[in-house]
Amino acid sequence: MSLFFFYLFAAILIFASLVVVLARNPLYNVLALVVAIFSLSCLFVLLEAFFVGIVLLLVYAGAVLVFFLFVVMCLNLNAIALDQAQQTRFRLLGSMMGLMFAASFGLAAKSFIKAQTMEASNIRGTIEIIGKILFTDYLLPFELTSLLLLIAIFGIVSLAQGALSTGKDTENS
Amino acid sequence: MITLGNYLALSGIIFSIGLVGVMVSRNVLKVLLSLELLLAASNLSFVAFSKFNGDYAGQLIVFFVILVAAAEVAIGLAIIVVMYRRLSTIQADELRTMKW
Repeated sequence: MSLFFFYLFAAILIFASLVVVLARNPLYNVLALVVAIFSLSCLFVLLEAFFVGIVLLLVYAGAVLVFFLFVVMCLNLNAIALDQAQQTRFRLLGSMMGLMFAASFGLAAKSFIKAQTMEASNIRGTIEIIGKILFTDYLLPFELTSLLLLIAIFGIVSLAQGALSTGKDTENS
Repeated sequence: MITLGNYLALSGIIFSIGLVGVMVSRNVLKVLLSLELLLAASNLSFVAFSKFNGDYAGQLIVFFVILVAAAEVAIGLAIIVVMYRRLSTIQADELRTMKW
């Protein structure tokens, strides 16, 4: 049963990531990434990493991708992106390098014999356990991330202010 | 029976797709979206290793990766908005001020 779900979500994940890379409309790229993140979160639940799965869903699908969607719609990029006839460069070279990387990753995963025989442990990443570890062993990194987010906020505010003050004379709206 | 190799192979496929997206796209927004795919692929292998090794550290690293990625996306999108206001385009080729 879990094997069926693994292949189902893996297929959805691969298809959605192909759409992210190949679709021409930026709106479809963003929405396909929402689908990809959702199926990735399902795979995390399959691996019994419940906390990380739900955080991924909340932070990525809930906040980050809505932010992407907001920027796409706010800047009205559809018309601009579709106007550009040639949207990609080095298409052949890039695809060949991607295939090469995929083959090497596949070979690496296949030659890693231990990976085929390793038994799944019975750890369950519930909120209780992860929270306990997060607030004991990993307390310092956890607090430092808050500092990182604060710095990110400062950066965004200063970027937006700079854009407002310099964009006023060039932009009518 | 799902082995660790299955998860690693899936992670490698997703990583390759994201890598092609980063190399091929001219649209800066699309490059940022493909970067998210790269992070998602590495997150998947972290969680798979965590499950098969019986160690919670992998899941905690994924938690931190998600936090840092959120900050990275916010900054990246702010830069894209500024770029669009200045150049009224989001094609990466238009950023050539520092080209010789």
